[in-house]
Amino acid sequence: MHLSSREYLDRGRNLPSYYGENRLVLLPRDPYWLFAYWEIDIPTRQGLAKEMQRDYASLNFALRCHRFTENNGVGSYFDLPVTPAADNWYIKAGIPDKQYRLEYGCYLPDGGFKVILTSNTVRTPRDSLSEIIDENWQLPDWQARRFYWRISRSNLSSLEMMQHGLHRPRENIGAILK
Amino acid sequence: MGNQSIKGYIAFIFHSHLPYVRHPEHKHSLEEKWFFEAITECYIPLLKVFQGLERDRVDYAVTFSLSPTLLAMMEDPFLQDRYARYLSKLQELAAKEEERTAGDPVFAPLARLYRERLDFTADLFLEKYGGRLVEGFRELQQGGHVELLTSAATHGYLPLLGLQKEVLYAQVAAGIENFEKIFGTVPRGIWLPECGYIPEVEEILGELGLCYFVTATHGVLYAEPRPKYGVYSPILTSGGLAAFGRDPETSHQVWSSKEGYPGDYNYREFYRDIGYDLDLDYIGNFLHPPGIRSNTGFKYYRITGSNEHKEPYNPHRAREKAAEHAGNFLFNREKQVEYYGELMDRPPLVVAPYDAELFGHWWFEGPQWIDALCRQIATTKQIKMITPSQYLAQGYPLQVSTPNISSWGDKGYHEVWLNGKNDWIYRHLHEAATKMIALATENPRAEEPLKSALNQAARELLLAQSSDWPFIITAGTMDSYARTRITSHLLRFFDLVKQIKENKIDQAWLQQLKTVDNLFPHLDYRLFQNLDETVPIEKSRLSSVL
Repeated sequence: MHLSSREYLDRGRNLPSYYGENRLVLLPRDPYWLFAYWEIDIPTRQGLAKEMQRDYASLNFALRCHRFTENNGVGSYFDLPVTPAADNWYIKAGIPDKQYRLEYGCYLPDGGFKVILTSNTVRTPRDSLSEIIDENWQLPDWQARRFYWRISRSNLSSLEMMQHGLHRPRENIGAILK
Repeated sequence: MGNQSIKGYIAFIFHSHLPYVRHPEHKHSLEEKWFFEAITECYIPLLKVFQGLERDRVDYAVTFSLSPTLLAMMEDPFLQDRYARYLSKLQELAAKEEERTAGDPVFAPLARLYRERLDFTADLFLEKYGGRLVEGFRELQQGGHVELLTSAATHGYLPLLGLQKEVLYAQVAAGIENFEKIFGTVPRGIWLPECGYIPEVEEILGELGLCYFVTATHGVLYAEPRPKYGVYSPILTSGGLAAFGRDPETSHQVWSSKEGYPGDYNYREFYRDIGYDLDLDYIGNFLHPPGIRSNTGFKYYRITGSNEHKEPYNPHRAREKAAEHAGNFLFNREKQVEYYGELMDRPPLVVAPYDAELFGHWWFEGPQWIDALCRQIATTKQIKMITPSQYLAQGYPLQVSTPNISSWGDKGYHEVWLNGKNDWIYRHLHEAATKMIALATENPRAEEPLKSALNQAARELLLAQSSDWPFIITAGTMDSYARTRITSHLLRFFDLVKQIKENKIDQAWLQQLKTVDNLFPHLDYRLFQNLDETVPIEKSRLSSVL
């Protein structure tokens, strides 16, 4: 049985590099890192160069990473300079269990930041036990210690267990679970 | 409430999955062999174990998740036929091996063992099930000891596709629909691909009538608020689903590279295969593809030790070892539930999920171990095997808590599926999904030929979304195959979109696509309709069934 070749079915083409849209997409990778990809269409690039009266490639681009403590609450931000040709970036967001949103933009001559694209909002995963305890579902302290000691021990390989020191496990609960 | 004399429960979950691999355009496909090996070495040996337990009326309980792509491959006549040919070639080799080893006191019995196994396989596959392996699973489900789970349609890694909830909906709904068509029942639980969990998926699971899912250890352990009983009791999510967290001890005991059971020196050595050991003149014709060195499944040596020297395999000794390891596993579970039981107001539940494909293929004695374990557990009073549904039916009150975003992949989160090697795929996958959602929403009642083109577009998108492609790219072996697969499905998808928009559908080409990428023949593109603007037709149909 012979069916059409891949060349026929796929029309021998490759995927486009860009789709001619303006978008910035943010994905969480783990409790500490985010990944973003983006694209800016040609009219927007041209408009920006005209407005800034400079070559597009000579503009100072950056990602502004906003971190929110609570849902839609007030947060802080930090900037990461990126090259004009870059279209994706890994961002060390640094804190688990927080909401993040990105802006892609360029610096103005007066030091201001012109936002070109805004991303979706994501939340980084937790990497430790929740500090929130439901009082109806609470083990007495000594029981909780026993409970989590065994889980934390078996979460790790034997080598890691040795390094953490099994002889004094209770003092190490925090270190192991964090 | 549960039986008071029971000290603890154990829920074994075997997750079976392969990506949709079907290549009628090639005479020999290396990748189709994944499926063929899994049938011969895993699915049939496992079915045999559970059939034996049924026959001997052993009181056991296990859960099997069967991914929709795997089920579709099992139900595909072309692959059934190809497997039958593959099997008959192996039987031919088995006969030759018996001849070659005749009179040898060590190797002749081993050659006979393989011949008998293959004869049994052929008998079961061809005679009993007429090529339809799903019958075996259906029988087990009807027996009441085995619970079957569904998974996402093409095993899409939901946390990275979840940007568009329509994608989550389509992946889950198409999986359920496929399950229902094959088994005639609706699944109560779902295996989230790679245990990949994000809170956004819950509403969709609930709407589609699912009651529970399984997470990695830290999916439940790090839930908020802090779960009182860690992973030893399921939690209830705010969406009303139960989340079962993986027990870390049981996975360590089986899979630890240092202390895990499969590394025992008495067990069969995976890397000594006659496909590599014997002359090409003799074995060449039995290789897949012919003449290229690869595994045949005929392996005559045991692990023996850590160096190259290997002694012949002793099946009797290996079987004893498997029973011994089952005893050790059970002993450790008794100690474990005793420990946790003192701290809990209910018997602890140990959730032990494993990849089914490792049992029998990689760990040859794995099925024997499970067999021995189920029989040993049945004779104890302290521990009882249970399925997640049976556990929920006990009626223990569950703590309300939100699971942590997590996966069971390396490092516990999304990095296996999102790293420097494979991150380029998401730009295309998200764009394709946006286009699919728009087309499905704009065309609520498409007529032919538009309908066929839209259905095929949905098929190509689902195929591109398999978690296997980024996984294989990360692993680095066979990565060109994975790149080609994801690129091909996306190119075909975008071409369909263009033809649909321009109203110029190339019928001959579409027909070819439907033949090659024939996954889920009944797939309805409307599963991708915008969830905010429309009530998908499939959705209302599904909920009426549920």
